[in-house]
Amino acid sequence: MATTTVTHPGTIAYQGRRSWIYEWLTTTDHKKIGKMYIFTSFLFFIAGGIMALLIRTELAFPGVQFVDAETYNQLFTIHGTTMIFLFVMPMFVGLANFIVPLQIGAADMAFPRINALSFWMIPLGGLLLYSGYAVGGAANAGWTGYAPLSAQGGAGLDLWLMALVLLGMSSVLGAINFMTTIFKMRAPGMTLLRMPLFVWNTLVTSVLLLFAVPVLTAGLMMLFIDRNYGGGFFDPALGGNPVLWQHVFWFFGHPEVYILILPAFGIVTEILPVFSRKPLFGYKAFVFATSAIGALGFSVWAHHMFTTGAVYLPFFSFFTFLISVPTGIKFFNWLATMWGGQLRFSTPLLYALGFIALFLIGGLDGAFLAVVPFDFHVQDTYWVVSHLHYVLVAGAVFGIFAGLFYWFPKMTGRMLNERLGKWQFVLLFVGTNLTFFPQHLLGLDGMIRRIVDYAPNPGWPELNLLSSIGAFVIALSILPFIWNVFITLRGPRNAPDDPWEANTLEWATTSPPPSYNFDSLPPIRSERPLFDLRHGLTPHAAAALPAGPTETHDETRADAPEGSK
Amino acid sequence: MPLVGLRQRIASVRETRFATVAFVAVLAAISAACSGAAAGHPGYEPGYGPGGPGPGFFPLQPVSQGGTLVSNFYPFIFWIAVAVFVLVEGLLIWIVLRYRRRPTDTELPKQTHGNGVLEVIWTLIPAIIVTAMFVFTVDTLGKVETAQDPADNPQMTVDVTGFQWQWTFEYKDKGISLTGTGRDGPTMALPINEKIRIRLHATDVIHSFYVPQFLYKKDAIPGRTNEFDVIVQQVGTYAGQCAEFCGIGHADMHFTVQAMTPADFDAWVAQQQAPPPSASALPSNAPLVSVTSVGVVQGFTPKELSVAADTPWSVSLTNSDAAVPHNFSIHSANADGSDWNAPINADAGGSVTYQPPALATGEYTFFCSLHPNMTGTLHVGQ
Repeated sequence: MATTTVTHPGTIAYQGRRSWIYEWLTTTDHKKIGKMYIFTSFLFFIAGGIMALLIRTELAFPGVQFVDAETYNQLFTIHGTTMIFLFVMPMFVGLANFIVPLQIGAADMAFPRINALSFWMIPLGGLLLYSGYAVGGAANAGWTGYAPLSAQGGAGLDLWLMALVLLGMSSVLGAINFMTTIFKMRAPGMTLLRMPLFVWNTLVTSVLLLFAVPVLTAGLMMLFIDRNYGGGFFDPALGGNPVLWQHVFWFFGHPEVYILILPAFGIVTEILPVFSRKPLFGYKAFVFATSAIGALGFSVWAHHMFTTGAVYLPFFSFFTFLISVPTGIKFFNWLATMWGGQLRFSTPLLYALGFIALFLIGGLDGAFLAVVPFDFHVQDTYWVVSHLHYVLVAGAVFGIFAGLFYWFPKMTGRMLNERLGKWQFVLLFVGTNLTFFPQHLLGLDGMIRRIVDYAPNPGWPELNLLSSIGAFVIALSILPFIWNVFITLRGPRNAPDDPWEANTLEWATTSPPPSYNFDSLPPIRSERPLFDLRHGLTPHAAAALPAGPTETHDETRADAPEGSK
Repeated sequence: MPLVGLRQRIASVRETRFATVAFVAVLAAISAACSGAAAGHPGYEPGYGPGGPGPGFFPLQPVSQGGTLVSNFYPFIFWIAVAVFVLVEGLLIWIVLRYRRRPTDTELPKQTHGNGVLEVIWTLIPAIIVTAMFVFTVDTLGKVETAQDPADNPQMTVDVTGFQWQWTFEYKDKGISLTGTGRDGPTMALPINEKIRIRLHATDVIHSFYVPQFLYKKDAIPGRTNEFDVIVQQVGTYAGQCAEFCGIGHADMHFTVQAMTPADFDAWVAQQQAPPPSASALPSNAPLVSVTSVGVVQGFTPKELSVAADTPWSVSLTNSDAAVPHNFSIHSANADGSDWNAPINADAGGSVTYQPPALATGEYTFFCSLHPNMTGTLHVGQ
C-alpha cells in the first residue's frame, strides 16, 4: 500500500489476502488512481466519440434522415460535456496523477485519500449525466447551457447540473492536492525552476481550476435554483438577466480552455527535448509563457459574447490578441529546441510534431475570432466548431496520445508497438484535418452550428460529407490503439527503466515503479537530473549549483514566479 | 558493413517519409476542400442559404455596407495568418528533414539552453503584429458601428421579435406586422441604400438575427433590446437564420430579407397595408372540425381529428396559451406532396379558422409549424 514516506520493501507487512478488485477499489496509490483515471476517461472518450459519429452521420447529407432534432440536441450536449468534463480533464488529471509525484521525486500525492475521492467522483458524475437518458431525455441545452433555454427542459438538465457540480468538486479537490504536492513534497534539490515543464503546466492548470471552477459551480447552483425553486437569477421577468449566465459561464469557460490545453503543452514540452537529445530551449521562457497564458486566460471571457451587444468589445479583443504572444513564444521555443538536434521519430515525437503542426491552425483561426467585426460574422457558425476542435482534438487529443505513448512503458513496464502507433498517428492526422478543416469554409459561408439540418447550398453537402468521412477516419484510428494496448498488456514486460534516454526523475525508478516510487534519488542539479547522471554535470547544471553544500526545498524562496498570477 | 549502413539509411528515409506524408495529406485535404468549393452547384435553392459561388477561403459576397467593410478587412488578417502558417510549418518541415537522427550521430548535439536575443525578438515581433491587428480591428469595428450612432437617425426602423421558433417583423410606423409560419419564416422587405435600424427583442430564450450576406449577427435577448443599423446596397433576396441555439425548432428558424428599390418598397408597403383578400367562400355545408385548445405543454386537444375525403373543409383552432402563438399545419397535404403551412397564426388566447386543401383518403399528421414537436393525427376517409 502507498505510504507517504519512503519505506523499504521488506517492511511492507500486509500483502496477501486481498482480492485485486478490493485492492483497486480501496487504493490510495497515486499510480493506481492515475491508471483508473486514464482507463475511465478513455471509456468516456469512446462514448463521446460514438456520439460524434452519430452527429456526423446525421450531417453527412442535408435533410433529417438519421436522428430527430431532439435526439440531435441531446447528442451534441452530452458529446461536448463528456469530452470536456469526462474525457480530457480526467485524462490529464490521470496522467498528472501518475507522473507528477514521480517527476518531483515524491512518494505519493499530498492527500492520498482525497485523491481517491476525487477519482471516484468522476464515474459517479458520468453516471448522473447519462442517467438523464433514463428519465425522459438527457440534457439538451448545449454544453454551454445558456439560460433561459436551460431553464426549460426536463429532469435531464437537473442531472446535468448535478453532474457538473460533482465533477467540479472533484476538480477543485484535485487542484488543491496537486498544488500542495508540488509546493510541499518536492525532493531535495528540486527547486521550482528545476521542475519539469509538465509539472509547471499542472501547477498552472491547478491554479486555474481553483479560481475558475467555483465560479461555474456558483452559476450552476443559481440555475438549479431558477429551475426548481423559482429563483430569478437569469429570468428577466423576475428582474434577472440572461447575459449574467454567459458572464459566469465563460469566466469559467475560457480558463477551462487552458485547463484543457496547458497539460498538452506540458507533455509536448517534455517530449521534444528527449527525442531531440537537446535541452529545452528557453526553460524560463516556457515557465513565463505558461504563467502568462494562465493569467491572461482570466481576462478574455467575454470574447465568447461579442454578439450579445452587452460587453465592451475592444478590451476583450485586445487581451484575446495578447494571449497569442505567450503562445507564440512556446511555438518558437519548441522549434528552437528541435533545431540542431538529432530527432528520433518514435510515436511520442510524431504526436508532438502533429500537435505543433495542427494546434497552430487552432491558434491562428482563434486569432481571427479576436477581430470583432469578423467575429460578428462567424460567431456560432462552423468556424467556431472548427476552431474549438483544432484546439481540443489537434491540441488536447494529440497531446494525450503523445503522453500515453511516452509514459506507457513507465506505467506498465511494456513498450507499445511502434508500427501500430505510427499507423494510428497517420489515420488520426488525416482524419482530424478531413473532419475539421472543411468546417472553416462552411463557417465562412455562414453555416451555423447546432442545427440538425442545413440548407443544400452550393458546396455545403460536399464539405459536410467530407467532414463526416473524416470523423469515421478518426474513429478508425482509435482501433489500432485499443488493439495495441491489448496485445502489449498481454505481452512480456519488455520496457527498461529509461527506454527513451529521458531527462526527468520518473525514469530514475523501475518500470513500473514500486508502490513507494523510489529506492534512491539521483542528485538534482538542473531540470535534467537523469541527463546529468548519464553525461556528467554539464557547465549549465554546475552553474546552477547553489553556494551552500546542499539545497533543501524551502518555500520562502523569493524566485517563485507563480506569484505573478 | 556498407549493407548495414544502407539499411539504416533506408530506415531513416522511411521515417522521414512517414513524417512528411502527414503534411502532404493535410495539403491534399485543403486542396480537395478548395476544388469542392469552386465546383459550384446547380441545385441551389434560392429560398435558403446565402447563394454566391460556394464556400472558400474568403467570406461570402457581402451585400451591406458594414459587410463590405468586414470583407475588405478580412484579407489583411488572412494573409498574416497564412504567412505565420507557412513560416512555422516550413520551419517544422525543415527541422524534420534536416535534423533527423543519423546512424553517425553518436555524439550529443550542441546543448543550447536558450538565446536571450532570439527569444526577445520572437516575443516582440508577434507582439507588434497583434498590436497592429488590434489597431486595425478597432478601426474597422468603429466604421462598422458608426452606422449605429444613435444620434444619426435611421430612415426606418424594423422591430424584430424572435420566439420559439419563429420571427415577427414589425414596421410600427407603417402598421405592418408579419409573423412567419412554416420553415421559410417571414420575409423582411427593405429599401436599398437607406439606413435601416433593426431592433431585436426576444420573448422566451435567446435568439440571434443572422443574415450571412450582411456578415453580421446580433443576439435577441429576453429583457434586453439590442439594435444595429444596416444599409443594404444590392437588390436581391437574402436568406437569414437564427444563429443562437434555441431548442428543438432551432434548425428551422429561417427568414428572408428582400432588398428592393425604394419605389418597389413603397409598392410593397401599400400592398401589405391593403386589407387581406376575403377568403374564398366555402360551401355553407362544408364540415368544420375544431381544435378546442392548444398549448405548448399539453399540445393539441383533441390529438385525433377525422374529416371526409376530397371534400372542402375547415378547422377552427383556439389557442389556450397565454403568451405563445400557435397554428394548424398539415404534413404532406399539398398536391405536390409538400407541407401545407398555416397562412396565419392564432395569437395567444385567440381563435382562427383555417381552410386546408381537400385531402385524399389516408392518414395525415397535423402540427404547429412554430413548434414542430406538437403533432396530432388527421384521419381522412369516408
